[in-house]
Parts: sequence; C-alpha cells; structure tokens
Amino acid sequence: MTSAIEVRGLGKRFGPVHAVDDLTFEVAEGRVTGFLGPNGSGKTTTLRMLLGLVSITAGSATFGGRRYADLEHPVRHVGAALEATSFHPTRRAEDHLKTVALASGIPTARVDETLELVGLTDVARRRVGKFSLGMRQRLQLATALLGDPEILILDEPANGLDPQGIQWLRQFIRGQAAAGHAVLVSSHLLSEMEETVDDVVIISQGRLVLQTTLADMAATAGAGTGMRIRSPELHRLAEVLNAVPVGWRQVAPDTLVIDGATPEWFGPFAAQHQIVLYELVNERRSLEDIFLELTQGFDASHPMPVDSGQSAPFQMPGAPS
Amino acid sequence: MIAVVRSEWLKLRTTAIPWVLAGIALVITGLFVLVYFLNHGAGGGGQRQAIDNGWGPPHPAYPHTVVQLRDLLGRSLTGYIFALLLGVLIITVEFRHKTVTTSFLVTPRRWRFVLGKLLMAAIAGIVLAVILIAATLIGGGIAVSAEGGSFGSLAGQLGAVAPGLILVFALFALLGVGVGSLVTNQVAAIIICLGWFLIVENIIEAIWNGTVKWMPSGAASAAANVTAGRGSDIGLFNWWQGSLLILAYGLFFAAIGSAVLARRDIT
Repeated sequence: MTSAIEVRGLGKRFGPVHAVDDLTFEVAEGRVTGFLGPNGSGKTTTLRMLLGLVSITAGSATFGGRRYADLEHPVRHVGAALEATSFHPTRRAEDHLKTVALASGIPTARVDETLELVGLTDVARRRVGKFSLGMRQRLQLATALLGDPEILILDEPANGLDPQGIQWLRQFIRGQAAAGHAVLVSSHLLSEMEETVDDVVIISQGRLVLQTTLADMAATAGAGTGMRIRSPELHRLAEVLNAVPVGWRQVAPDTLVIDGATPEWFGPFAAQHQIVLYELVNERRSLEDIFLELTQGFDASHPMPVDSGQSAPFQMPGAPS
Repeated sequence: MIAVVRSEWLKLRTTAIPWVLAGIALVITGLFVLVYFLNHGAGGGGQRQAIDNGWGPPHPAYPHTVVQLRDLLGRSLTGYIFALLLGVLIITVEFRHKTVTTSFLVTPRRWRFVLGKLLMAAIAGIVLAVILIAATLIGGGIAVSAEGGSFGSLAGQLGAVAPGLILVFALFALLGVGVGSLVTNQVAAIIICLGWFLIVENIIEAIWNGTVKWMPSGAASAAANVTAGRGSDIGLFNWWQGSLLILAYGLFFAAIGSAVLARRDIT
C-alpha cells in the first residue's frame, strides 16, 4: 500500500498558539481517509498547509515526496475543495471552471464532463452568486475534479448538502477510492463519514489522537458493551442470570442490561430457559460516542502513544478494561 | 504564461470591472471633449477674436492646427487614472471575493500569479486606451466636422498621439497591479491611489519645486509625448525616460507585493 500523502511532524504556530503541533499521518492510495476532529482542532489549517496556502512552521507535508508548490500543474494531481465561498458572484459556473482549466492546460471539454459529474449541467450558465450552498459545494467538487487528480482533498464537503446530496457525496467518494484515488476528507462529525471512510485520522487541539482503520475502531467499540433485554418475565430471567457468571442491572420495570453479553450467547440461553422476550438489543457504543470521548477527553499535554500507520490497539478513555 | 494570461482574460471579462470602468472612463472623456469645444465656442481659444478683427487670415473657430488637433485627441489621457484603477481591481478583486484561494491552488508560485496579473493588466490597459481614443476620435471628429472642419484632419493626428496614450495606459494598469499586490484590500488600494493623485502629489509638488517629473503623473505626461519637443521646457523627462519611470514604480511595488504575498497565509 503506497502513501499518496505524507504528513511528518507538521506544525503551525500563529504567534504563541500552536494551531497544529507535531502531526504525523499518512493517506493511502485507493482508500478514503476521514480527517476528524472538533471545530477548531486544526483540520483546515492542516489541509491548507498541505496545499501550500498556509506556511509550515515545522515538519513537512508532501504528495509522493513532493511539496504541493513543486508539482507541475498541481490541480492535475491534487484536487482540493475547500470552503464554499471562493467564487466570483457574477461569474457563471462553467466560466469559473474554464479559468482553472485554461491556466492548467486542461482541455475545456473537461468542464462539461465535471459539471455533469456533479449534477450542475442545468445551471452551468447561471451566475454563481445565485447558487445555494449545496450547489456551491458541488461546484467546489467539480473544481477539484477538473484535472482528474489521483488525490482528492475535501474540507467538510457535506456542509450545506441535503440528505440526498450527502448520499450522493458518499457514493461519489467511494467511487473515487474504487478508481484507485486517495481521498482525504475532513469532518467534525464521524457519523457523517462512518459509511464512507476506510481509515480515520483523529485530531484534537492540533495534535494527533489516533490513526487507525474504521474496522478496528468499530471492533473496539463493540468491546465492553452489553445487551438490553425487555421481557414480561423479568424476575425469572433475573433468577437464571444469577446462576451464571455475568453482571446485570435492571434499568426499567421490564428491562435489564447484561454486561458484556452477545446475542449469540444470550439467544440460546433465553431459549433454553424458555423465557419470553419482547426486545433484545445489542447495546454497543456508537463510533460517534468514541469519537467524542477521544476528542473531548483528550489531554493535549499527554498524547496517547500512537503507532502511526498501523492499526495498533488503542486504549480509549472511559472504556472498561 | 500564455495559458495564465488567457485564464486571466476570462476572469476579467466575467466580472463587472472592465465594463463599469470603461463606461465611467468613456463618460468622463466625453465630458472633457465637450468642455474643450465649449471653451472654443466661447472664444476661450482666441480664434473668434481673430475673425472679428477683420484683418489677417481668417481663423476657423474649430480645432485645426496640429497642436489643437493633438490636444483634442489627447483628451483621453486623463483616463490613465482609470487604467491605474483597472490594474488595482484586477488583482484586489481576487482577495475581495476570496477567489485567490483557487488561484493559488492553480498557481502555487505566487510571483507567477502576480506576473500573470501584470501582463493581463498591461493588455487590458491597451484595450481601454484604444476604446477611449476611438471614442474621442469619433466624438471629436463629429464635432469638428459639424463646425466645418474635416474628420480626416483629426484622424490624421492619430499616429502621433495614440502610441503615447496606449503606452501610458498599459504602464499605469501595470502600476495598479503593483500597488494592488502590496495593498490587497480593494477599498484601501483605491483610496490610496486616488488620494495620491488628487492630494498627495499636489502637496509634494507645492513643497518641493521640480519634483513633478519624478511623480507618476509627470512621468505620464512625459511618456504620452504630449509635450513633444517641449518636455525639457516644462521640466519633464522625455517619453522613454518617463515610461521607464512608471514601469520601475510598477515593478518595484509588484516585487515587494510578491515577496509579501509569498509569506502570507491564505485562510
């Protein structure tokens, strides 16, 4: 697996403030990497340093070993969609794309292709000032895609999209990865990205909290959870549960929670004792819960040991050991 | 670089800037031509008195001497301030609407971005000059014809006047980009330019005699060659010295602007 993007010890100081501090992570080809962190955690600054828009005060950020500014016609290699405000209001959508195409030696026929790709063909001749936020996001995506780049960097692309738009965006991003492209997509909501990303890079207060695969994160989320059972025969269930070595607690008149149980174990157990069940819910913490714990509980002065690039086992704050 | 200029040309004509500026410049140039004729009509030029005296060769009341005709055609020189503003707007509009983010993604080496703007502004300045000269020729020519002169006599002076005007417009548009690269705030850059030409220059000239030839406006008069043969009399440089001075000012600001921009964080 080759790295499309390499960030090594990256740092940015605004005066006394460390907006980004000693950040190291990689983005693999053919995979979607979610770049996650709360608002103000340094995501946008990091992406802008990658793209040469913000100067770097420490470390490096490279694409296949080369800085963005050193790439020949960078938009043909790295497509970036940053905030959705940077259009001239009187310029038509297709003219905006043509200005980029002309300067980068991209055939102008590609303009119509990308407009079609993001579903803006009907408004190609409309002035961007009249665009909705969602349409601007699509035009940003079109700008990023214009040079048919092998690397895509998307900063909060789901902002302003309606549910259909988000669904479309997910499929679009998956399609890019399937075509072998590397996608780095930032978000402050893991839930928004959960179905889209392969890898996650989580930062908080400008520092790396965790780099892992989503699968590993999901597996860890499953550990230390329980099952919520609703039954009209709660007292009988309690009796049989007391005979086996599991912890449980009653949470409602007809509901109890069994710690660490799985449906595979509990289903046959309940059948064996012929207990009527109304409801059987696997109570796992959501990835979003973990994400929030990681980013809120994270103390920047004591970074967690992270084996970057590896799906190292990690200790989650608040997780039962 | 040709590709960059083509892109810049598309950027420019998809904004309101060239249309609004050219429109204002046309109106103002038209007013100057009108004022010129009103002055002549009122005998301000002294020609009518010559006729009334009843002796000597009759002088027509319309511009007919070479100096008068060139003076009339040269009315559009006053539009060079619009060429300057055109240059300022060409670069500051990117910061105002934050399109500079996309521009820097396309052209990450920022001096190239400034260079593209300089070339574009020079071309746009030439176009603006041609429009204003054409308008002056048509408006002035019609007025001269109406008073009994010939359109051709005015058009005949085109070769002497137009090159200098075009040169000055191109150089001032370039100077505008230089200023705009340093002062990227659009409103501030416009105020600085207008304040310089309307106020500061006059103050400097009033205090230090003879500084006018080093001022952009003095250099513009010299470069436009409106003082052909008289340049040294009124203490100006000759046309190529004046041109180089404007160019030097423009490139000086553009160089500092590029260096500052190269370090600037685009957030």
